[in-house]
Amino acid sequence: MKKLARRDKMKIYRDILSVIQSTEKNEKIILTRIQQKTNVPFDRLKAYISELGELGLIQNESSPRLTEKGQQYLSEYEKVREFMKRMGLAYQGES
Amino acid sequence: MASTALVILELVSAAISFILVRFMVKPYLWSNDSRYVGLPIGFTFLGVSYLFMGLTFYLKADPLADELKWVQLFTEVYAFAFLAMTYYFSGRELRPRRRLLWQFVFSALILAVIVTYFVIFEPFSSRFALPNYNLADRYISVFDIILATYVSLYTLRSHVSKPDAKTIYAPLGYIFLAFGEYSSIIWSLDSSFSALVGEYVIRLAGLSIFLFMSYQTFSARGPA
Repeated sequence: MKKLARRDKMKIYRDILSVIQSTEKNEKIILTRIQQKTNVPFDRLKAYISELGELGLIQNESSPRLTEKGQQYLSEYEKVREFMKRMGLAYQGES
Repeated sequence: MASTALVILELVSAAISFILVRFMVKPYLWSNDSRYVGLPIGFTFLGVSYLFMGLTFYLKADPLADELKWVQLFTEVYAFAFLAMTYYFSGRELRPRRRLLWQFVFSALILAVIVTYFVIFEPFSSRFALPNYNLADRYISVFDIILATYVSLYTLRSHVSKPDAKTIYAPLGYIFLAFGEYSSIIWSLDSSFSALVGEYVIRLAGLSIFLFMSYQTFSARGPA
């Protein structure tokens, strides 16, 4: 069985934000759905959601929505990943 | 007139390198992985080495120019050493033993940088007899080429494993930097004008490739 690479915090943030972003605007986001999609234990997910709220990347922690800052985070993250790829650097945080 | 042109070319190279540091630091800041710190350090050292070279052309006969030439020589080799180290460790999972090796190599390089500068500058320089500069320049440039070639091949391998037109820029940039070093050896051997022009044209082309790639990636709207 292939061992999954260990994700760093930035990658976990990105995964959580991506799930929130991919959800329809009128759809209610429940944390268990984010947990299933990101494969993060529930207690840790709650801590991450709280951190993302404190950082201003999401709003309404019970049914989170991406803020403009959160959108910028995702965009910048993808750019840095693309830059590393173009620089020929392997990113160990990627699974 | 010629030395003014060389000063300007060195300053332009330094300016491009320092602009690149702004982009090169991002992988480290975003991943929080210390292995990527060698990338901004490498380009900072590269910029500093060009700056020192420009200063030596500007100062010419000043005794300080002799010391600055040595500083430039070692700063450049450390630049390539940090870059090569970053690539060597970036492709490997850091298990405890390898993490220890990474920490050892990184610390050894930092220590070597400090010791080198202490040896070159007073009051220590009088206690050490520095070898002939031109000879040392050739040997160290060969070492620079070896390190730059390693990085070129590493990035080229990464491009070949997942072919994409966008991933050819980095190997191309590093190959140009290696050829720039090669031209500098030729110039130091035969003092030919074409080798001198070649050194600057190839080096600036290499740095411009990195600059173009960086702006293309980060100025794109939305994900690149």
